Amino acid sequence: MAERVLTIEGLRVSFDTYAGEVQAVRGVTLHVDEGEVLAIVGESGCGKSVTAQTIMKLNPMPPARIVDGSINLAGHDIVHASDKEMQKIRGNEVAMIFQDPMTCMNPTTQVGKQIVESIKLHRHLSSAEAKAEAIRCLEQVRIPNPEERAKQYPHEFSGGMRQRAMIAMALSCNPKLLIADEPTTALDVTIQAQIMELLAELKDKINTAIILITHDLGVVAGIADRVAVMYAGKVVETGTTDEIFYEHKHPYTEALLRSLPSTDQGKHEPLMSIPGTPPDLLAPPKGCGFAARCRHCMQICKEEQPPEFELNAGHKASCWLLHPDCPSAEERGAK
Amino acid sequence: MKNEVLVQAQDLCKYFKIGGGRMLHAVEDVNLEIHRGETLGLVGESGCGKSTLGRTLMGIYKPTKGKLIYDGKEVDLTRKKERFAFAKKAQIIFQDPYASLDPRMTVGSIIAEGMEIHGMYDEKRRRERVAELLDIVGLNREHANRFPHEFSGGQRQRIGIARALAIEPEFIVCDEPISALDVSIQAQVMNLLHELQEKMGLTYLFIAHDLNIVKYISDRIAVMYLGSVVELATSDELYANTLHPYSKALLSAVPIPDPHKEAQKHRQIIDGDVPSPINKPKGCAFSSRCPLACDKCREAAPQLREAAPGHFVACHLV
Repeated sequence: MAERVLTIEGLRVSFDTYAGEVQAVRGVTLHVDEGEVLAIVGESGCGKSVTAQTIMKLNPMPPARIVDGSINLAGHDIVHASDKEMQKIRGNEVAMIFQDPMTCMNPTTQVGKQIVESIKLHRHLSSAEAKAEAIRCLEQVRIPNPEERAKQYPHEFSGGMRQRAMIAMALSCNPKLLIADEPTTALDVTIQAQIMELLAELKDKINTAIILITHDLGVVAGIADRVAVMYAGKVVETGTTDEIFYEHKHPYTEALLRSLPSTDQGKHEPLMSIPGTPPDLLAPPKGCGFAARCRHCMQICKEEQPPEFELNAGHKASCWLLHPDCPSAEERGAK
Repeated sequence: MKNEVLVQAQDLCKYFKIGGGRMLHAVEDVNLEIHRGETLGLVGESGCGKSTLGRTLMGIYKPTKGKLIYDGKEVDLTRKKERFAFAKKAQIIFQDPYASLDPRMTVGSIIAEGMEIHGMYDEKRRRERVAELLDIVGLNREHANRFPHEFSGGQRQRIGIARALAIEPEFIVCDEPISALDVSIQAQVMNLLHELQEKMGLTYLFIAHDLNIVKYISDRIAVMYLGSVVELATSDELYANTLHPYSKALLSAVPIPDPHKEAQKHRQIIDGDVPSPINKPKGCAFSSRCPLACDKCREAAPQLREAAPGHFVACHLV
């Protein structure tokens, strides 16, 4: 049985702004096991990045505020951890790679030195050992001539190389959990394929748990073991990758998958689009967040938030359509 | 008539001076025909010159060498009058709906500006046109008095589309019109573009890096690598019978949103990065990354030639 690395329960995160309280995350429950890739998918503003940043407490508090819920990362209580404790946890237990590798590295420091810095901070190695370790890390992510490359500055690296260096840096202290926040969005498809292959290979080799945040369902299909679909600050459906792609039960998941042109789709057949835009989280809707855009919307959807229904072990969806008393499609007069 | 050529590029080159007497060869010797009423997809990685080609084809950039032929006549962009007349026929929809709308103008004046410049209609009729255009792109007529910041990304892109349509162009360059948008909004904009084409008989040059989207919308697809077109074919032909090694790698790199297919797929991963367009490799531009490259590829640059009817490819080995 794989060890559970991360458990999030009922997490609510809000931002206090001049306009009022933005409820970015409104009750998220997740878990990730060792050696597993959990993909969090959703549109921009659905709270997927905020959830990930909260795991590392990277969002400045204030304005951010954990309203409720608990995060357990490898035995550490993140919600109540002090800044000092967090410093130890970051890097050691959890590391993150970001979308834009250029803005996440220090442009005035050699890449190798930046890796050495984090190794020395967490692993108590001598300078020479740390340096050798940094080069080994660069080698592990298949950067050619790691000795030479370690002496170069970030601007001398190409986008794909920088992302590799970021991964090397993140893995330098053997974290139990790696959070990849849109790691390939800024990259070209051929480079994206290189990076995704690298992540898949590293996952098998070092058995880290990975949370992959993305909006690209193609990337998800290739690497993820389980998927959590988020919408308006909530996880609306979660299950194994196969369950989400082939047996999805939530109308949002369905709409999201159908809005992509599939490779065998007939030409000029209109794509299924989702009308409207996501709700404003300053004043989240009383009922289901997706109700206003959902084609199956019923009266209860607008009034009450749907509970989570367990379809089979691990596959859960929050939608009133799954309630045993829900009238069938014919009775609702659906199209 | 689908085979009437509307836009034609003949040995089109666009170089940029980058100081020190050096030149960045963004677009090199491109020969391309776009037929009236079709959608030509243009794909390639960032820095391959696809946006520069798009902008050159609609007259934003003056070609360094070569000819731009529109509707059978050469367009001389150095002459102001001709440039002005050409601008009425060719329009562009930009990638970033946040940067391409003037934040100090109302939506109504953004859309009407082109009509004013080209002296189309009187003011009353222009206002009506703005309202009509807003209807066409799926916004409310009342939105004309609002400012761009009041709109979401998808809505702004619709404003950009309305602006492009306002002066009734024939040819529209869509420069990554959906890559800044969320998936659910992308489908809305794609459907809108397609609907408009059917209704108004528009010709599109559709630039994108998302190959699934390009395949879906395009009649024909041109693949670019480092300033040159390496392969050109109808979209079905390109996917069914890919010839150029770069196109093969590019197509196999695209993730498919279907786990079963994704697991079966054999992915051909090409190493390395795109070389710099300042110091291009001698011979075939792709030779530095190509798994099949031989001595000939490193010596001479291959020319685009017809390998099968309507299927053009620039590779020595095909």
